[in-house]
Amino acid sequence: MQYIKRLLDVYIALQALFALSWGFSDTEPGPVAGSQSNGDRFKIEGRAVVPGVKTQDWISTARILVEGEEYVGFLKTDGSFAVNDVPSGSYVVEIVSPSFRFDPVRVDITSKGKMRARLVNYIKTSEVLRQPYPLQIRSGGPHTYFMKRETWGWTDFLMNPMVMMMVLPLLIIVLLPKVVNTNDPEMRKEMEQSMNMLNPNPELPDVSELMTKLFSKGSSKSGGGTKGSRSVALKRR
Amino acid sequence: MAWLVVRLAISLSLLYTASAVFEDQVGKFDWREQFIGKVRFALFDTHSQASKKLLVATDKNVFASLNSRTGDLFWRHVDKTGPEGHIDALLMYGQDAVVVVGNGRLLRSWETTVGGLKWEAVLDTGSFQAAALIGVQDFVKYVAVLKKSAISLHDLSSGSQIWVENLPDSDTVQYQTIYSGGNGLVFVLGFVPSSHIVIVEYKIEDGEIMKKKSVEAAWMSSLENSCAVISSGNLLCVDQTTQSLYTLPLQSAEHTEMRQIHLQTLDLEVASGFQPVLTSTQPNPAQPPLAEFFLQLSPDHHILLQLKDDLIAPLRDFNPSYLAAFATSGEKTVAAVMTSKNDTACSINLFSADTGRRHLDTTIIYHMDPNGGKPNRLYVHAFLKKDDSVGYRVMVQTEDLTLTFLQQPGRVVWMREEALADVVTMEMVDLPLTGTQAELEGEFGKKADGLLPMVLKRLSSQFILLQAWMAHLWKLFYDARKPRSSVKNEVTIDTLSRDEFNLQKMMVMVTASGKLFGIDSKSGTVLWKQYLEDIKPDSIFKLIVQRTTAHFPHPPQCTLLIKDKDTGLGSLYVFNPIFGKKSHISVPALPRPVLQTLLLPVIDQDYAKVLLLIDDQYKVTAFPSTKNVLQQLQDTASSVFFYLVDSSQGKLSGFRLRMDLSTELIWEVVIPTEVQKIVAVKGKRANEHVHSQGRVMGDRSVLYKYLNPNLLAVITESTDIHQERSFVGIFLIDGVTGRIVHEAVQRKARGPVHFVHSENWLVYVYWNSKFRRNEFSVLELFEGAELYNSTVFSSLDRPHPPQVLQQSYIFPAPISTLEATLTEKGITSRHLLVGLPSGSILSLPKMFLDPRRPELISEQSREENLIPYAPEMPIRTEWFINYNQTVSRVRGIYTAPSGLESTCLVVVYGLDIYQTRVFPSKQFDVLKDDYDYVLISSVLFGLFFATMISKRLAEVKLLNRAWR
Repeated sequence: MQYIKRLLDVYIALQALFALSWGFSDTEPGPVAGSQSNGDRFKIEGRAVVPGVKTQDWISTARILVEGEEYVGFLKTDGSFAVNDVPSGSYVVEIVSPSFRFDPVRVDITSKGKMRARLVNYIKTSEVLRQPYPLQIRSGGPHTYFMKRETWGWTDFLMNPMVMMMVLPLLIIVLLPKVVNTNDPEMRKEMEQSMNMLNPNPELPDVSELMTKLFSKGSSKSGGGTKGSRSVALKRR
Repeated sequence: MAWLVVRLAISLSLLYTASAVFEDQVGKFDWREQFIGKVRFALFDTHSQASKKLLVATDKNVFASLNSRTGDLFWRHVDKTGPEGHIDALLMYGQDAVVVVGNGRLLRSWETTVGGLKWEAVLDTGSFQAAALIGVQDFVKYVAVLKKSAISLHDLSSGSQIWVENLPDSDTVQYQTIYSGGNGLVFVLGFVPSSHIVIVEYKIEDGEIMKKKSVEAAWMSSLENSCAVISSGNLLCVDQTTQSLYTLPLQSAEHTEMRQIHLQTLDLEVASGFQPVLTSTQPNPAQPPLAEFFLQLSPDHHILLQLKDDLIAPLRDFNPSYLAAFATSGEKTVAAVMTSKNDTACSINLFSADTGRRHLDTTIIYHMDPNGGKPNRLYVHAFLKKDDSVGYRVMVQTEDLTLTFLQQPGRVVWMREEALADVVTMEMVDLPLTGTQAELEGEFGKKADGLLPMVLKRLSSQFILLQAWMAHLWKLFYDARKPRSSVKNEVTIDTLSRDEFNLQKMMVMVTASGKLFGIDSKSGTVLWKQYLEDIKPDSIFKLIVQRTTAHFPHPPQCTLLIKDKDTGLGSLYVFNPIFGKKSHISVPALPRPVLQTLLLPVIDQDYAKVLLLIDDQYKVTAFPSTKNVLQQLQDTASSVFFYLVDSSQGKLSGFRLRMDLSTELIWEVVIPTEVQKIVAVKGKRANEHVHSQGRVMGDRSVLYKYLNPNLLAVITESTDIHQERSFVGIFLIDGVTGRIVHEAVQRKARGPVHFVHSENWLVYVYWNSKFRRNEFSVLELFEGAELYNSTVFSSLDRPHPPQVLQQSYIFPAPISTLEATLTEKGITSRHLLVGLPSGSILSLPKMFLDPRRPELISEQSREENLIPYAPEMPIRTEWFINYNQTVSRVRGIYTAPSGLESTCLVVVYGLDIYQTRVFPSKQFDVLKDDYDYVLISSVLFGLFFATMISKRLAEVKLLNRAWR
């Protein structure tokens, strides 16, 4: 609420400024029924373009909406449009099409019929960033209605941090013994030292040890198997 | 920069909350039907033989092109509602269609193949009378528009105005018709009631009045239907009181009086009280009309007549005949006449227009729907066959707005139910269980009768299940051999049964024309329809489900209350919503206007909920009103309260039921009508479940919700519409005690206000007239950190007022409707469904409308998953639940829970109907559509084989070691 209040202050200040500089009265009522009905009626004109698409492919499903469905216009075969019978006021003009995206434009019409177009800004409602009039509206491309499915691929799987965390240590465990000669007594001593460094408190039960104990209870056989393989390897050498 | 961060935070948080459609889900569980409304003008494109176009203009201000072979839309243009978009006339010439819109305000020419506008011309104000194409020397070049006081001529290719002329004495003379025979002159016909006819002759080139004459016609009351121009400029009129035909050559100067021909001389007579109708045909606007014409003497009597050498001769008498129409193909003009064959069918025959002779083998049999209305319009499309004979197809429109397109010998090519363009209200009803399912259910329902019978029963039901499963397997196997296309099994009323998750339901739709529909929610097929005759236009409908399908063997029961708009008198129509059959239950007579209805949770011995109807003397009628019900009502009367709204006096009053079904006034709230008027009053939905009593805060305490089931939201609008002084008022009133729980005023705001009232919150949208934008505001009510009475809620014992939190947001688009999703148990987070004028339905997470959204992010707010406050509400096209299937003129959104907690069924109705499912918290209780069965099974198998292999290897190693 406070935010809106602050904006309101800003708005009032800006309001005064622009009313002076443009000779436009922004406070003019919008499409209020009754108060303007016997006044003059004006025409909002413009042209809509979808780059790369022929007009006949999209104009039959598109409409021009002025301030919701207050006034409705249709597109001509060349992409131009006109909305007739609009009294003076300030309106948001929007081209709606189920296939293509168009940005809305605010059009101000004075009681004398002077027109100007500006960017729609709902927060700073009096900010004027002029747009060409008659309106030139270019489509920003097709609408994106759909979310992308998360597809599964090997690269996604491998680049997953969890997988990386699992695969890298595995590689180290498998490859390191092959690279480093474990038979070298000096080397072994060094490694043991470094292991002790990593494990500062020998009293504390190691988590990995705990786990291996827990899981090897039922499958002591396989545990034996790994031991055996090492001895075999030793024998071969 | 800060903005950017907030935006980023929002978009990130959305990744996890928003439900969206995936591309492969298109059409899987959603469907859309497009409608046009009641056809007022229909023209077949006869420009070329191969053309399939059928141009229609309807009372819904829709101009569309239909494919006459399939009934599908080529394109459709929906204009503004109300008189400003009203289509006054439709003319077609060649590739172009000229439409007069908005009481003659706009003249539009459409390129009919593309569906784009060719030109648009603004005409002067003045009420529209007639429009006609004007031809010169065999070419149609102009279009003339006749207004009350002026006539204008426009060029057909550019729309530029050639000339505009004021009509002489337009304040006394009513000009109604234009005629041109292609000879360079335009005739404007007008008349002074009970006095004379005025004929003004204009020159096409410059609009100069060539001649003006008035002819005595004291009997004249209207030109439009009782007069026609036939055969090179002869005005022909028919009058019921004098039982005569009158003719007058338009161009000749010497005739100053109309020639009277008594109908008796032709052995004809107009039925008493019937306004006779003349129908002529002018196949080419550049040439004079034919000399033959139809005269309708009574609702079912037409006669084909011919004017020849100033004599009128009957060609053929069609008695009885319902409808007659001319059609032209090439040089040949034919007349199609619909006559009654028997009670259920009509036959349509083709006659040659110039002789009245019947064409052989041209009969089309039209079978009338026994639950539909009578045919009332006939549109004929004639074409030349290869052997140069005339073939034809017809489109029949009935009173219940069904369009049927038929071809010989009576094959229905397509059918459109245009009544569905105006759905007023709807309900979704669960489908019944199948026989086997019901059998199983029945086992649990009955009381135990011994051990052995129960075991036997169990066995037998298991056997039935096995049988059903085998049958299902067999069907699968059988279908697998057939080609794919033929497998698509049709949904019929007999194969209807509830699916596992209760996702398929029966949509019961009530339309403004008084036609009821039962539509399968899965496919959109109309399963039954029932036309209720004698329903006045603008009646008010209320549909109530009194008994659901859950009470087998009692059939489900729906009650429709039809209330006349002027008198307020109501009537009840009771029917079975699954089969559409009218129930034979005696319905209470309602001699007094009904003010309010109330569906009580009290049920009678047949499990039908009791409906209370309150009349204008505050007397209550119960339906059903058996002894059992009355007894129950007496017991519960002291706790039955209801409210009445009188918006003309700004009065809201609460009543309590007495034992003798009279009522007593308990409270009254008066909102002064000089300042503001009540625009809407809404309670909460009765079938809504709230799962959690409170919200867990960041500091682990609980903020309890104020869940008052009796709370009414009253919206008022100021009578002063000046933008500085207008306001919108919101009152939250307890319906039992009349206590105003909360009151809020939105200054510098005006309606239309859309709002949703649910759980402990109210969301409303209004127009901020100062900043010219739509704003959302949310009110949430909390009891505080402690519940006053945690077991039961009582409106009478509420010492503490609730804490009210409110926040407002900017919504960067206009809104046409607002509704909230609804699920079975209320566990799933809520979304708001916002209907936009563009036809998209936005699914906005309620998370965005949370008055506790903080301005500054703190640890606690992050823990609660609150999105930081941002004044502007985001709209993302990914949230459009109907992607590019836009729904024109959304009138209402209906939400219903399904058997799955994650899934909410949504029906959007307006000019179109769209049905879909939404998953506000994603599909957490079912496997995803893209669930990778291959991956999971390959991983499982891989692991299995890996263990097998490693086991084997280990054994080998062990053996090797043992050998060592």
